[in-house]
Amino acid sequence: MSNAVYAALTRQQGLMDEMQVVANNLANSSTTGYKSDRAVFAEFLANTGEDGGLSMGGLAGHAFELQQGALKLTGGQFDLAIQGDGYFTVQTPQGPRLTRAGHFQLSGDGTLVDAMGNSVMGVGGSPITIPPEISSVTISADGILSSGPDQFGQIGVVTPNGDLLRDSNTYFSAPDGYTDISDPSIVQGALEQSNVSPVLEMARMIDVQRAYEAGQTVLEREDSRIGQLISAVRE
Amino acid sequence: MKSLQIAATGMAAQQLRVDVISNNIANMSTAAYRPRVAEFSDLMYQQYLTPGTLTSQVGTTVPAGIQIGTGVRPSTVSMEITQGSLRQTNSELDLAIDGAGFFEVTLPSGESAYTRDGKFNRSVDGQMVTMDGYPLADGITIPDNAQKITISRDGEVVAYFADGQAGQSIGTLSLTRFVNEKGLEALGDNLFRATEASGTPSQVVPGTEGAGYIRQGFLEDSGVDVVKEISDLIEAQRGYELNSKVITASDEMLAATTRLR
Repeated sequence: MSNAVYAALTRQQGLMDEMQVVANNLANSSTTGYKSDRAVFAEFLANTGEDGGLSMGGLAGHAFELQQGALKLTGGQFDLAIQGDGYFTVQTPQGPRLTRAGHFQLSGDGTLVDAMGNSVMGVGGSPITIPPEISSVTISADGILSSGPDQFGQIGVVTPNGDLLRDSNTYFSAPDGYTDISDPSIVQGALEQSNVSPVLEMARMIDVQRAYEAGQTVLEREDSRIGQLISAVRE
Repeated sequence: MKSLQIAATGMAAQQLRVDVISNNIANMSTAAYRPRVAEFSDLMYQQYLTPGTLTSQVGTTVPAGIQIGTGVRPSTVSMEITQGSLRQTNSELDLAIDGAGFFEVTLPSGESAYTRDGKFNRSVDGQMVTMDGYPLADGITIPDNAQKITISRDGEVVAYFADGQAGQSIGTLSLTRFVNEKGLEALGDNLFRATEASGTPSQVVPGTEGAGYIRQGFLEDSGVDVVKEISDLIEAQRGYELNSKVITASDEMLAATTRLR
């Protein structure tokens, strides 16, 4: 096959991948604490022998937008959102995970857990337990849980030391570790909504679809050009 | 074409949201009903190129990598812990809880169930029973000749037999508290059952440990905020449409592919 077909194919494959990213963003438009994804394309050169190189495009990386989602007031006692930077940490069976989704509740023994039942870590990494007789807990902006004069610990808000890796359940893992933020701003009774912008995603989707169709046209033209070439050679 | 399946998970999620909202709206007049809210989380990511993979011998690494998501799934449908407003009914066996407690009732199977719906009645043999006839676990039996019943804020039930006569205590109501009310299993009929997640039920005197006082002659209204439900419904409907557009677009891309030959 000709090089033009290969170049067009890499583009088509990349567009398929980008469509997946768009679909995943739109599917998560109601997921608390979800951060939208962006596909990043890069050119790579393929050596084609004597003619020199051929430029191809492919999916090279992927970035998520850490921009803060809108805060939705829920009034829930353990619904927490972080205003500004930082992540909550939860202790999963696979190790600590970072998340912006603060939909927490108490487990049967009074430990603060997330929707998956993983315990939320306080400053220093210890779980937080609320005594059973306490019915109303106030959480201050810096994460201190209290009821009247009694304090039950402080919710840790951390910042990753290196890159974040995406995990399911709106978790992120931080392979290079993380450090506590000294002055977080936690909002009690609110949840951070997904930061997916439907308008942007729809525009990207149309973009991807039309670019894909244009790519198909290139392939069709190339196909008929080769067809003509073959029939011309035969005569 | 994975975007088809991904968009399908998105549509299913929004559909579930509409189901939850419609159940809330249907229960906007159910005594002591607590609205449910669906929460979602993203599915696992396909690791095409893991961030941190070496790209050269000198130790440069891929900064972001390629991780492609595979959609969304419901993570929980949890109860919103709200105190519904108290409506005056003036019926002497209508009780409302002004706090976080529950009444304990005994099911026909002998199991305990918990409810905040305080619409009680007198059964044939004088027991205080729910609308379905399940007796209160505190075992209050009202004597036949009682003219009037008063129930104090802290649960003492006093029966009066004749005008001008002092009342006689016929029992005490207790309330039950749970560490995690969201962990209760809904049985329908406004009843809940204790689970592993809710913690063990603890019986407390009304007015202590946050259980709240008992109010005689009141019923707790449904906690559903209709305006909020309707705005959520609009959001869910548009979310559903957005995901269906992805399916249409993916389909057209597939059609373009098949047109090739």
